[in-house]
Amino acid sequence: MRPDRIALETPIERGWEPVFRLVLGGVADRLDLGFEDLDDIQLAVERLLAEAGTQESVQLSFEILPEGLRTRIGPLREHAIAEALQGPEPRPGELTLRRILETVVDSFGVETVDDGNIMVILNKRVRRP
Amino acid sequence: MTPAQPTRSPESDRDLLKRYHIGGDTSAREELVQRHLPLVRSLARRYAGRGEALEDIEQVGAIGLLKAIDRYDLEREVSLTTYATPNVVGEIKRHFRDKGWAIRVPRGLQELNAKMSGTIERLTIKLERSPTIAEIATELETTPEQVLEAMEAGSAYSTVSLSTGPGGGGDDDDFDPMESIGAEDDEFERTEQRASLEPALESLPEREREILRMRFEEGLTQTQIADKIGISQMHVSRLIRKSLARMRDELA
Repeated sequence: MRPDRIALETPIERGWEPVFRLVLGGVADRLDLGFEDLDDIQLAVERLLAEAGTQESVQLSFEILPEGLRTRIGPLREHAIAEALQGPEPRPGELTLRRILETVVDSFGVETVDDGNIMVILNKRVRRP
Repeated sequence: MTPAQPTRSPESDRDLLKRYHIGGDTSAREELVQRHLPLVRSLARRYAGRGEALEDIEQVGAIGLLKAIDRYDLEREVSLTTYATPNVVGEIKRHFRDKGWAIRVPRGLQELNAKMSGTIERLTIKLERSPTIAEIATELETTPEQVLEAMEAGSAYSTVSLSTGPGGGGDDDDFDPMESIGAEDDEFERTEQRASLEPALESLPEREREILRMRFEEGLTQTQIADKIGISQMHVSRLIRKSLARMRDELA
């Protein structure tokens, strides 16, 4: 069965962030995601959007899977994001985008899409109450 | 008939400032405060209707006035009113920024947001895990939608990109700070590729640095950090966002 999926395209501008946060909040409510888990996934998306700030808009999708929530963000044109996420491990104590994502989501991946742009996939497991 | 007593002309602001700054006369300071309170009230009114009581805004503005009086340099040829105005406005703006209510938020949502922090803490202890939105809503006798809106209302933070220009990245703002950086050495390039916030870490207060270290190096949860430093989990969340945004600002 195809997972339930919510998709939107949002301008990358601070003023629009409440929109995706509210959508994510609604999804988290449906999933019975804990408050801290919701906060984590919101932070992960915010940081990616902050790094992708040179492009006008981005597509976001939230897939509800049996094991949790899968978020796709892209296509992202900022190559520094791909390098940051696929490059070497951060040094101990170094605070990077990769370190932040490693902390706040259970796993993440990078897919190359058209013209070398990337799609970042964030996975967050649901810890059922 | 009793001859009229000559009326004493009121001392000028400058005379009072001299009495306070040179003679240490605090009654002169008090007189200056009373004299300029109408200015504070007038400035405070501009910020009314943003979810904060006017009296509270006036009090904050009065602090700005006091600071202006204390910092006034007698050698400057500027009136106290002119000097105090940006101080008062700055104090009020700082207050709104710190409180996070710079954007107009309906009172009901503000109140709900204010209750949420304690509710989440209580539920976290009771359930021994982070509560869900539905559980928070039930506890607060409201709907999940209202909880989400209240959460959003409390999320006054910024996420500024490394490439956002000084004008905030608007249409007319073509400046890319990365272009203003000269020759790159290998280490800089390597750090940039990692999207590292490291260079800006030093700009944060010690407590914020420690919170980031606990969260992203030790891997503690927000609740664990909150317990350790004695603040609410929601406050930890806000501080983490604020710190990351500030570091981004610093790098830009």
